[in-house]
Amino acid sequence: MANLNIDAVKDMTYDAIVVGSGVSGGWAAKELTEKGLRVLMLERGKQLDHVTGYENALKAPWQLQYNGKITEEQKATHPKLSRDYPYNEMTEKYWMKDADSLYKENKRFDWFRPNIVGGKSIMWGRQSYRLSDIDFEANAKEGIAVDWPIRYKDIAPWYSYVEKHVGISGEKLGLPQLPDSEFLPPMDMFCVEKEVRKRIEKNFPGRVMTIGRVANLSAAGKAQLGIGRSACQYRNQCALGCPYGAYFSTQSCTLPPAAKTGRLTLRPDSMVTNILYNKETQKATGVRVVDAVTLEERIYNAKIVFVCASALGSTALLLNSTSERFPDGMGNDSGQLGHNLMDHHFRIGASGEWEGDLDKYYYGRRANGIYIPRYRNIGNDKRDYLRGFGYQGRASRESWQRGIAELSFGADFKEEMTTPGHWQMGIGGFGETLPYYENKMYLDKTEKDKWGMPLVVFDADLRENEIKMREDMKNDAAEMLEKSGLKNVKAYDRGSYLGMAIHEMGTARMGRDQKTSVLNGNNQVWGAKNVFVTDGACMTSASCVNPSLTYMALTARAADFAVKELNKKNL
Amino acid sequence: MNRREAVQRIALLMGGALSAPVMAGAMGEKIYDGPSLNVTAEQEALLAELADVIIPTTKTPGAKAAGAEKFIVRVMRDCFPLKDQETFYNGLARLNTESKTKFGKSFEELPLPQKNEMVKHTMTSDTPFFRRMKELTVTGYFTSEIGATQALEYLPIPGRFEACRPLKPGQKAWAI
Repeated sequence: MANLNIDAVKDMTYDAIVVGSGVSGGWAAKELTEKGLRVLMLERGKQLDHVTGYENALKAPWQLQYNGKITEEQKATHPKLSRDYPYNEMTEKYWMKDADSLYKENKRFDWFRPNIVGGKSIMWGRQSYRLSDIDFEANAKEGIAVDWPIRYKDIAPWYSYVEKHVGISGEKLGLPQLPDSEFLPPMDMFCVEKEVRKRIEKNFPGRVMTIGRVANLSAAGKAQLGIGRSACQYRNQCALGCPYGAYFSTQSCTLPPAAKTGRLTLRPDSMVTNILYNKETQKATGVRVVDAVTLEERIYNAKIVFVCASALGSTALLLNSTSERFPDGMGNDSGQLGHNLMDHHFRIGASGEWEGDLDKYYYGRRANGIYIPRYRNIGNDKRDYLRGFGYQGRASRESWQRGIAELSFGADFKEEMTTPGHWQMGIGGFGETLPYYENKMYLDKTEKDKWGMPLVVFDADLRENEIKMREDMKNDAAEMLEKSGLKNVKAYDRGSYLGMAIHEMGTARMGRDQKTSVLNGNNQVWGAKNVFVTDGACMTSASCVNPSLTYMALTARAADFAVKELNKKNL
Repeated sequence: MNRREAVQRIALLMGGALSAPVMAGAMGEKIYDGPSLNVTAEQEALLAELADVIIPTTKTPGAKAAGAEKFIVRVMRDCFPLKDQETFYNGLARLNTESKTKFGKSFEELPLPQKNEMVKHTMTSDTPFFRRMKELTVTGYFTSEIGATQALEYLPIPGRFEACRPLKPGQKAWAI
């Protein structure tokens, strides 16, 4: 981090401004600096240094529990974050306090906002999948929303480009609905998973099970070792921050090369409230920033602006960037800005018990599970709903918890509980949500947060298509496990509210027409061509796969386009 | 994200075995903010004795050595409403009273065979108390440093992953 010049720059003018330092912002900073631009990266959250900032990463579980002092404060400051998850002190400081993260819910929406440099790239689940043409063509074929302005061939080289740098571990399958990445060696499956895989593939032609595709280094290559990363240590403590840099985060993966150019200025504690626009040039001139700590206001200028503030953060920023030309928010000629809000729906599936393999065990903690790619509404399969879902899951071996309910105690009981119990396996679905105009966020300009940003209001819900899909998600999970020989299979549906999957997408969609979309096929804002939005906000449909890898590829692609346009003096 | 993984892991590994308050307590949470009972040193000592009967010292140290009573006091206070706290500590007091009635000594003073007899008795005479006490003791013990590193095996930095290998004789369960 020695090369980062944090807030020591008197000159307020840069070649490019990147708003946000998460998955997308990190990629924008890396690509733009490497292509020769002087870049200012603005992050609302606080600084989080790679390795030394991960205070809890190497602590044992008992060192993290029962300190007590944090918990009372946690409850008071994070009522929303703690309302449906076991929310603990380990990652507390990475998230924004609810007291600061004010928003309104016409319908319940769980908005998880990080408060650190690196954004959610520190805490993310790291599952990494490519979209396919089945995804890119779906809207057009089904007459839903608008057509994606790109196809798989447009993004495929950029997937490869980012994957070679990130390092994605996984298995090649050659599936049309889930194109292969540039893979590092796949992580291995537990013996039970291998057997279940065989049985699923035998009993359900067209369905496959594979190891999760994950942004953890199963082996570190030159590209990774060269920037100080090393291979996964199989501790499975990723969300605390990895002292080995073994998974993709801004800190491990995109900041080091950006910093190395000497052209990056990173300014944490910087809330961007407005993008400033010049109606004569029809371009943005820069941004207005409120210091998150001192509340001091500053203006920074740049030739191009990359908006990577998270799907909902980016759209809130555009909605708040009103001007004579854009009275309803920057790029909002279509009236679509804030609409078509999507997330994946999940928390539904099944689990069961496995008899046998008691003589098999494992070593290390695999930070990954198994994946069953989408098979519904593919090929000849036709359902009474559109799109589909995939499953994530894993096998595991029972531990001491199995003894809780027994009416027994004493030495024999204790000794029994120190040995491994039975194997079990569970799978949970992740379903695609359609882009509905009615699912929206907007600003309530009558109320503002402490930085002067109007409050976001959420009004979005799962609808008939998702509810029908969930029946299949539950029943298919139970059926696959039962036919694979698991016993006591129990299906569950814990209910899913939008936002919970933290795969929020849409609200500033890409499209082919300025009248019906916010961004064009290069992620340029219609009417403000030097502003690019490359995070989840740009998604025209949601697919059912984890989306972060797609944001990386789209960001690298847009950065390449932006610099070429700059060089042609088109921006 | 982290929380999602945590939910999945808990749902699968714990199989619903732990009650919601104890699960929250095991994760260092405080989910109850109302008035709580004041627990005396005597009550805490009695909890330690009882916990040590449920998880005694064998080849490895037991619940008392691991400080399970501190876990129990904290989780009862931070995660259970007052009514549940009262029921729980009434159950504890009853065990001690019955011990005096039956053997003329407080529970703490009994030799181990009579302690075992009293716990067996409680298992049927006050099953809800036994279940709660056992849940708290077992959870507190196996998530403590002694429980995790001595009764179980804890690998801070495995360094590699083997998905499928023979279970070695005497292999203890992994702590996490």
